[in-house]
Parts: sequence; structure tokens; C-alpha cells
Amino acid sequence: MTALTIDRINKRYGNLHILKDISIPIAKGEFVSLLGPSGCGKTTTLRCIAGFERPDDGSILFGNRDVTRTLPEQRDIGMVFQSYALFPHMTVAENLSFGLEVRKVSVPDRQKRIADVLAMVRLEGYDKRFPRELSGGQQQRVALARALVIEPSVLLLDEPLANLDATLRDEMRFFIRDLQQRVGITSIYVTHDQAEAMVMSDKIVVMSAGTISQFGSPREIYERPASQSVAGFIGRSNTISGKIAEALGQDSYKVDTPCGSIGTTGPAGLAKGAEVKIMIRPENIHTRKQCVGAGQKQEAGSGEAGKDENVLAGAVVNSVYQGSANQLAVKLASGDRVTVDVNGRNPLDVGEQVALRFAASDTWLLAS
Amino acid sequence: MSALEAVPRIESRSNRGSATWMVVPALVLLIGFFALPYLTIITMSLREASTRAVYGEGLTLSHYTTALGDFYIWGILGRTLLIGATVTVLSLLLGYPVAYHLAKSRSRWTSLLYIFVLSPLLVGLVVRTFAWMIILSNNGVANQALKAIGLITFPLQLMNNSLGVTIALTHVFLPFIILPLLGNLQAISPDLAMASRSLGASRMRTFWKVTLPLSMPGIQAGTILVFVLSISAYVTPAMLGGTGGRTMSVLVVQYLVDNFRWPAGAALAIIMAAVAVMFVGLYLKLTARAMRRLP
Repeated sequence: MTALTIDRINKRYGNLHILKDISIPIAKGEFVSLLGPSGCGKTTTLRCIAGFERPDDGSILFGNRDVTRTLPEQRDIGMVFQSYALFPHMTVAENLSFGLEVRKVSVPDRQKRIADVLAMVRLEGYDKRFPRELSGGQQQRVALARALVIEPSVLLLDEPLANLDATLRDEMRFFIRDLQQRVGITSIYVTHDQAEAMVMSDKIVVMSAGTISQFGSPREIYERPASQSVAGFIGRSNTISGKIAEALGQDSYKVDTPCGSIGTTGPAGLAKGAEVKIMIRPENIHTRKQCVGAGQKQEAGSGEAGKDENVLAGAVVNSVYQGSANQLAVKLASGDRVTVDVNGRNPLDVGEQVALRFAASDTWLLAS
Repeated sequence: MSALEAVPRIESRSNRGSATWMVVPALVLLIGFFALPYLTIITMSLREASTRAVYGEGLTLSHYTTALGDFYIWGILGRTLLIGATVTVLSLLLGYPVAYHLAKSRSRWTSLLYIFVLSPLLVGLVVRTFAWMIILSNNGVANQALKAIGLITFPLQLMNNSLGVTIALTHVFLPFIILPLLGNLQAISPDLAMASRSLGASRMRTFWKVTLPLSMPGIQAGTILVFVLSISAYVTPAMLGGTGGRTMSVLVVQYLVDNFRWPAGAALAIIMAAVAVMFVGLYLKLTARAMRRLP
């Protein structure tokens, strides 16, 4: 059952087409991130859901209830802002009480719910403080509590971690995700931080220029990106251009490239001869020093691994030590450069010849 | 550790030094043209009246006792305060929506509205007051218009009373409440109103519970400015007030210039100033309570 349906909404400001036919179905209890660079329409989409913007056409449904034409206060939403947006003239308890007073919850009931939600965000005993007396992380937890205490049908979060420092941000990701799962509330989370979207979401909506580039689970989006822009936006990726030589199965292809023939995985239905880009993530490429003799072993090794394994030769042109890993830039025979992550403890020197090995199942074809 | 602490201390000392210097010009101006004249007025108000000089040699409190025992002066003082209070309330009621709109609006017509808001200040005081005379006199634009549409048969008394003074002063001082309020309202994050709406509060409730309490500093600054300016205004009540709308400042000038009673006039001026300080002090105390929860 979908808790929230966004059905082909459009939004224009003058000549600017901000949202183009955006449709997102969201299941009950799901955590969905709207991910994209600034100006991609993610915040406008959130504001349409909240009711602060009205789409020009299309509709928004909460369950079976069409809310497209209703005011924000009639929608039953909880909202968390980047700026926290706590009422500065009210104590923590008064901030939490605000939405309950509107809903005419009785005083004893109110007090109980405020105490419960404060315990949930681990801020017991802070009820009489003013927002200005709290740290950024604490303020954001109060904001979260204020949105949750009214038990809304949807929780909307607009870059809630953007104002926090890096360490706190990491901590809060898990805190929010954990809380969301415990409460089981349907949540929509706007962010431009792909790492945040990856670790928190059940589903990610990748947006660019007012359209949805891809909608899927973090795994689908990372491993099976729909386009080169998605692949580039989520994590680091290498691409090698080529042409489909033959289809080996429903989703496996042999691709001819300037570095030779490569076994790959890709979306079904790619025609023979089609121009494609092979995407490989840097962490899925394994390296071995290539010297005379060892090269033979390599071939033997790849033979053992079966048809699935690809081996490409190249030369290290750059090496950056990153602590846990060493990031290599390797120039292939074709002239393409690929980025490879290797263990930081046995780095390869610039100029060394390496064999790059990667499985066909770790590649993904992008239409070029 | 101590070396680390010493560096900022030296810096802050030199900063403080330069800040002190920057205050000096304004301080000289204030002492030379405000504190000293006030001292002169106070001493003048304590001198005996004289027919040969501005004031006599001896010291006396009689000007104060006479003034405070005079119901006529009490009446004028009351009217002055009433006009001040009315102008303040009216300009708040008229100015708040304008400031609110200006703070929210992103339209390109906003700059035009800014010019309208500031327009009363762009016209000379006397010229503007003459314009009000043309509008408000018995034969003026307002009365003729009302007669023309048949609402009245006899002209309304719109000037030479408190009403005319109140209307004209509200017009002049409107910018003085709009500008501080605008600054205040612009500083309130629009996220707060959105948060309130998201929690289920209507626009009305959001205004009363969130926006209005947070705009108290602007209201306080603006209302004090308008009140103080209104009760000390001279040209407008002098030209539009007649006898029915005479205020304390008009009376003081009359004492000094027409009657040549400098010590008595000085006493009136001091009484007026003292009453103003008292009222503003009381008002500050009352509004401070409403603002005690603000950061």
C-alpha cells in the first residue's frame, strides 16, 4: 500500500520548468531520499508535498486522501528544516507542545507525549531550556522530536544535517535512520549528499534538472545506475567506451573496446553494435604487478576464474595515499585512465606496469 | 598557554582603544548640543522672572508649582500625551501590515512601495503641513468630497483640533515605525512560519504565536520613536492644531516667544521632558516583560 503518491506533478516559474512530470510512489514506513545537486528540484518537490508550493498540475495523495489543493496545516505532516527552525521564544517543552496544542491534546496527555519523545531523542531533562542554550545537534534532535510528537502521517526532512559538522553529521545519520525505523514513519529526506542518501534510505530518487534520473534502492542505484550522470553523481566510477559485440545472455554482453574484448553486465535489450560505456567502480578493480612470468600466472588465474574475469594491462601514472586505501590512476593501452583503489599498505609506484582484473558482474553498461 | 592568552588580550585592548576614539565626535556633539543646553534650561527654569533680562538673579521653584497647579496646563499635557498615544497606536496598526508585506514580498514593485513609505520624509515639513491644511480645512478637499457624495451637509471640523494633528502626525511618522519593524521582520527566518504551519497552525495562529512575539523588538523601537517624536512635534500642531489642538511644545514656544516668560517656559519644557522620560521608562519596563523570552 502506498502511503504517499506523487503523480505527474509539474511546476513552472515563468519560463523555468522546475519540475517535469515527477511521479514517486512511496510505501508505508519507507525512507525515501530525494538526491541531486542544488537546483535539481528536490526542495521544490518536498515543498509541494508539504503544501508550501502548489504544483501546476498532477496530484499528491496521502494514502487515498488527495491533498494537492489543501493547505500545509491541513496535511498532517512533520517537517524538519536545515535551520532547525525552533521557535526561539519558546522552551523545548513549549516547542514540542505547539503542535499538540493545535490538535487540542489534553494537558496530561501532552505532558506524557512530550516526555516520551524527549526520551526517544535522548534529551530528557532539557524541557525547560531555550533553543539558544542547546548545541546544533541537540537543536536538530528537538526539531525532530517536535515533528514526531504530533505523530504525522509523513515526515519531511529538508537537508537537516547540512548545518552540522562532519562528525556529528555521521552520528546523526544513524540516529535519524534508527529513530525512523523504530517509529516506522514514512519519511522523505532531501539531500545533496550521496553518502547520506546511501546509508539512510530504503529508496533514492536521483533528480537532475527537474526530472527523475533514477528511482531505486541504494544498491540498484550504485550498482546499476541508469545513466552516466547518475553513475558520476553517486560514488566514483570509471568508464570505458566500446561497442556491443554480442549478447551472451539476457543481461550479459561482450563489448569490443580499444583495449580488447570485455565481458560485461548491462540492462537487457541492448542491440549488437550499440555504443556503450562500461562502468566499473574503483573498489571492484584488483591489481597485480605485472612482470615477466607473473603475466603467465595471471592468464592462468583468469582462466581459473572463468569467463567472468577480465584482465587489462596498464601503467600507473599517479598514486595518492589516503590512509585506508591508495588511489591509483592507471593509464590503459587505449589511453583511457581508470581510478583503482588498492590496499594502502602495498602501494604501487608511478611508472609500474599493472594488470587490472575485474569481474564481468562488477561492470554495468551505460548507454552512451 | 600564557603566551597564547596574551596575544588576544593585547589585540582586544587595542581594539577597545580605537573604539573609544570613534565615539568621541558623537559624544562631543551630544554633550555640546544636548547635555549643556539641557543644563541651561534647568537652571533657567529655577530662576526668578525678570522684566529687564531673560531671567532674574534669585532662585525659585515657583514656576514648577504654578505650572503643576494649573488645570489648563494639565489639560494640554494630557492632550499631548493622548495625541502621542493615538498617533503611536495608529501608526503601528497602519505600519505593521506594510512592514510585513515589505519583509515577505519578492515582487519588483517592492522598491516602489519603499519610496511610498519614505515619501513623507522626502517633502519639507512646512510644505507637507500646508498640504494637510488644504485637505483638512473647512473648505478643504476632504470636506468638499464628503459634501459632493452627500455624506455631510455641514463641513466637519477636521483641523484646529487634536484630530487634524493626529492625522498629520500619523502620516509623517509612519516611516519611523515601518523601518525598524521591517528590519526586525526581515531577520525572522521564514522557516519558523513554515514550521508552525507544518505543525498544523493556521496563518492566523502562526502570526499570533510566532511572528508577532518575535517582532516585539521592532514594535518596541518603532513605537517609542513615534511616541517621542509625536509628543515633541512643533510645526504640525502649531499649524494644524489651532487652540483646540494645542500641545505642550506649542505652549512652550508661546511662553518663550509671545509672552517672553523664559523661566516659566523652561519649567514647562522640563516638566514635559520628565513626563516623557517617565512614560517611556514605564513602557520599556512593560514591553521588556513581553520580550523576556526572546534571545
